[in-house]
Amino acid sequence: MRRATLPALVLALLVLALYPMVATGYGIRFMLQLFMWVALAQSWNLISGLTGYVSFGHVAFFGTGAYTAAILVTAHGWHWVWASLLGGLAAVILALIIGYPCLRLKGPYFAIAMLGLNEVMRVLVSYFEGLTGGGLGLSLPTLYASREIYYAMGATALAATAVTHLIVTSRLGLRFMTIREDEIAAEAMGINTAGYKLCAFLLSAFFPGVVGGLFARDTGYIEPISVFPLLTTVTMIVMVLFGGKGTIWGPVLGAGALFVLQELVWARFLYLHQVLFGAIIVVVVLCMPKGVLGVLQERYRLPRSL
Amino acid sequence: MSVTITPAMVGQVIVSGLLAGALYSMVALGLALIFGVMRVINIAHGTLLMLGAYTTFWWFHLLGINPYLSLLASMPLMFLLGMLLQRTLVTRVVNAPELSSLLLTFGVSIGLVNMAQLAFTSDLRSVEFLTGSFLLGRIALSKSRLIAFACAVAISFFAFWFLQRTKLGKAIRATSQSSEVAMVCGINVRRIHLYAFGIASALAAAGGSLVALMVAIQPEMGQVYTLKSFLVIVLGGAGNYPGALLGGMLLGLVEQLSSLFLTTQLSEAVAYVLLVLVLLLRPTGLLGGRDR
Amino acid sequence: MGSQRCNGMTAGWVAILALVLAVGTWLTPAAAQSPIKIGASLSLTGTYAALGQNQSRGYQLCAKNVNERGGVLGRKIEFVLYDDQSQPATGVRLYERLITQDKVDAVMGPYSSAITEAVANVNEKYRMPMVAPMASTTSIFKKGRKFIFMVQSPAEVYLEGLIDVAAKRGLKTVAIINEDTLFPKATAQGTVELARKKGLQVVFAEAYPKGNTDFSAILTKVRAANPDVLGAATYFDDAVAITRQMKELNVNPKMYGVTVGGDLPKFYELLGKNAEFVYGATQWEAELPYPGAKEFNEAYRKEFPGADLSYHSAGGYAGCQILVAAIQAAGSLDGEKIRDAILKMDTTTVYGGFKVDQDGFQVSHKMVMFQWQEGKKVIVWPDELAAGKVRFPTPPWNQR
Repeated sequence: MRRATLPALVLALLVLALYPMVATGYGIRFMLQLFMWVALAQSWNLISGLTGYVSFGHVAFFGTGAYTAAILVTAHGWHWVWASLLGGLAAVILALIIGYPCLRLKGPYFAIAMLGLNEVMRVLVSYFEGLTGGGLGLSLPTLYASREIYYAMGATALAATAVTHLIVTSRLGLRFMTIREDEIAAEAMGINTAGYKLCAFLLSAFFPGVVGGLFARDTGYIEPISVFPLLTTVTMIVMVLFGGKGTIWGPVLGAGALFVLQELVWARFLYLHQVLFGAIIVVVVLCMPKGVLGVLQERYRLPRSL
Repeated sequence: MSVTITPAMVGQVIVSGLLAGALYSMVALGLALIFGVMRVINIAHGTLLMLGAYTTFWWFHLLGINPYLSLLASMPLMFLLGMLLQRTLVTRVVNAPELSSLLLTFGVSIGLVNMAQLAFTSDLRSVEFLTGSFLLGRIALSKSRLIAFACAVAISFFAFWFLQRTKLGKAIRATSQSSEVAMVCGINVRRIHLYAFGIASALAAAGGSLVALMVAIQPEMGQVYTLKSFLVIVLGGAGNYPGALLGGMLLGLVEQLSSLFLTTQLSEAVAYVLLVLVLLLRPTGLLGGRDR
Repeated sequence: MGSQRCNGMTAGWVAILALVLAVGTWLTPAAAQSPIKIGASLSLTGTYAALGQNQSRGYQLCAKNVNERGGVLGRKIEFVLYDDQSQPATGVRLYERLITQDKVDAVMGPYSSAITEAVANVNEKYRMPMVAPMASTTSIFKKGRKFIFMVQSPAEVYLEGLIDVAAKRGLKTVAIINEDTLFPKATAQGTVELARKKGLQVVFAEAYPKGNTDFSAILTKVRAANPDVLGAATYFDDAVAITRQMKELNVNPKMYGVTVGGDLPKFYELLGKNAEFVYGATQWEAELPYPGAKEFNEAYRKEFPGADLSYHSAGGYAGCQILVAAIQAAGSLDGEKIRDAILKMDTTTVYGGFKVDQDGFQVSHKMVMFQWQEGKKVIVWPDELAAGKVRFPTPPWNQR
């Protein structure tokens, strides 16, 4: 298995790297947004899939990154690559500030605290309009760089997946999962749960921040309601669950499958697609609690380390 | 460009806050009931509220009868729909991790909202029945909001009496204290789940019917109420029923007062900041709740 | 975990079924005789659903009308329509798809300023002209873009009529409230400017968040500020809610005007007598004597019985007619030539005047202001289009 995986992975990366040479503008944009969802799903998986802390406001980091990068680009003329990286850093700082107190909360209390964080961030961005443009939004200077952003977004998605791989296959991942299964026992075993939780939380905030910055650059216009929507968080969660939470390739699979499905179905069923999306969620929760990957692993005896 | 705040204005918004708060309390009580009994957070709660509002709209629009009487239709209808949802879907995730129930009910919610869109279109509707207000000195009391307040207080009071005094109510409370012990005592826990979901849905429907007389009705109107109820029950202590009532009133007041002293825009954030502060000091809400 | 009665198989089948359905429709072959394809994505679901659907009907009626007259350049026209769910990012992707994958010959604008602002970068990149009927924020057109054309009056002058009439009547103070999103905010800022120019004092201004339903506190403040004029830069549901709560809280300025929403027949249906005396700003009214307006109204009623007819429909229709006329004049589908043809136009459509400057910014179209009088919208401003006189001042609520 191992021997087959590596060449397959290299081949897939090669194909994706060469894809922009032959793709249409739409093809590039489609893949770029797909990479975005892979990175977002992967990040949510890092905190919620691995340690079991359900974040219901993860889009807050995305929005923070988007605004940080957009302000750096428009007001200070930064290159979008550096601006996006700094967007990631801003998200990490935010996570550091709120992570320490909030990670003491459990279950639904943590979930709603994160939801609250998102609402608060959106309101603050709207309120400090001198810096952010408030409800007018921020419009970035016109730039045609879909191809470059494609590679940047792809690299971010790859990095998020690689980090997940490193964690899951190491002792760190074991500790995260111990916290998920039984936090009190983990503490009793001498695991510094607060430290590990914060570590997972910071990692999971970084990638959405970067992706948010890239998103702002690519869309060219952001407003508070378009970068802090609850629906984005929910979509991340559904993607992870669809693919298989707590796994390495589950989020990739889930993001890919759902995004492609949405795009195909969307265009044709103008008024019904939301019903279909709802039905998919219900089916996933009821029938595949371990996700597609879980089903495949059971059926075809795939290795558990995927 | 702001105005000086006078005591009369403060009085006015406190009244508005209390009027709104009673409604939040009643709706949130439903959500608290489901969480208390099953540890399920029902994202479709607001959706049921929306359907209750539409029931009132059609009742008034087609029959032309006093819209307050539509409570007699919307509550039983949603009671049945709630039991149906519980029986077919929610029961399967009762013992699963909370994420499953969150997502399942979210899926149900967007499905129902979209179907409402197809059936009723996205056009805004309203029930123009009692407009205007009573004047109490400098303070205006909106007629529709005042009656909604009275109904909400009465219904919440009745729900409490029911939980405290009746056999079924006691069984519900026993189940929310401990499913296992309740089962050992011979309580049919699955049936309790069914009734609890039904009652909670009826409470949401009552909220919808009353709200229908105050604001415009449209398929996506419920989401706001889901979020607010969520906030209310966590504020009061998840699964704690008096906590839900307290939380609702508190939210109503905080929203209105912060709109007055800061701006309407910031008031949303203030409610959440308050919530996080409460949680940091008391990690299980004001009156204490359960973690899981 | 609840999977007793339902297993992976079922789920698998559902997924396969959905995929087959989707792929099946995806591969449906294109028509043999090729019509001119015009692409657009509109907000058919989400926040702007009701208004986006009105606009979509305008596009469809235009296509029907043009085809009945034999099409353009000897070919029929056909719309390729998608739903952007009221989200800019989806709009961007869909326009990219329309242009590079569906290979449409021209595009029409989406609904709302915010989404137009985002997708304008896409059609600009491919140098494909886009007539954007529902974008009214000035900044979109002041970024050096060459291929986007504005149809309606800018947001900043929406409440010009209200301020103008107030100044003429000798009123002194004005309060402005607005939803905190792109278009209403631009309107509010523009109104503050206009008020200052006309010598009115702005005594209160505050924004409220999108989706707000309880206006008690903000209206309590308005009441305390006691302005002569209240201007509300709104969408539809907040316009209704604010009017209702003004009555409840007895807020009673001498003039009260709203922007979007006040013009819809539903506004009066919902509020009944409480809508009396309310001023509304609108880009267009069915009664305005523009050429072809009567025929348009009749055709619309016939094609979509019972559906809302608002300025979104008329704007969509007129915008599409302008594009078609430009294609005709250019004699080709070449983007640059269509652009030149649009820049040369100076005409009056069912929607009013149309002439754009070198930036594509509208300079000819005029806003109108009406007042609800006995269940009818009576146009009261500007004078040359007015059909009646203002009923001034607005009486107390219990006397309406």
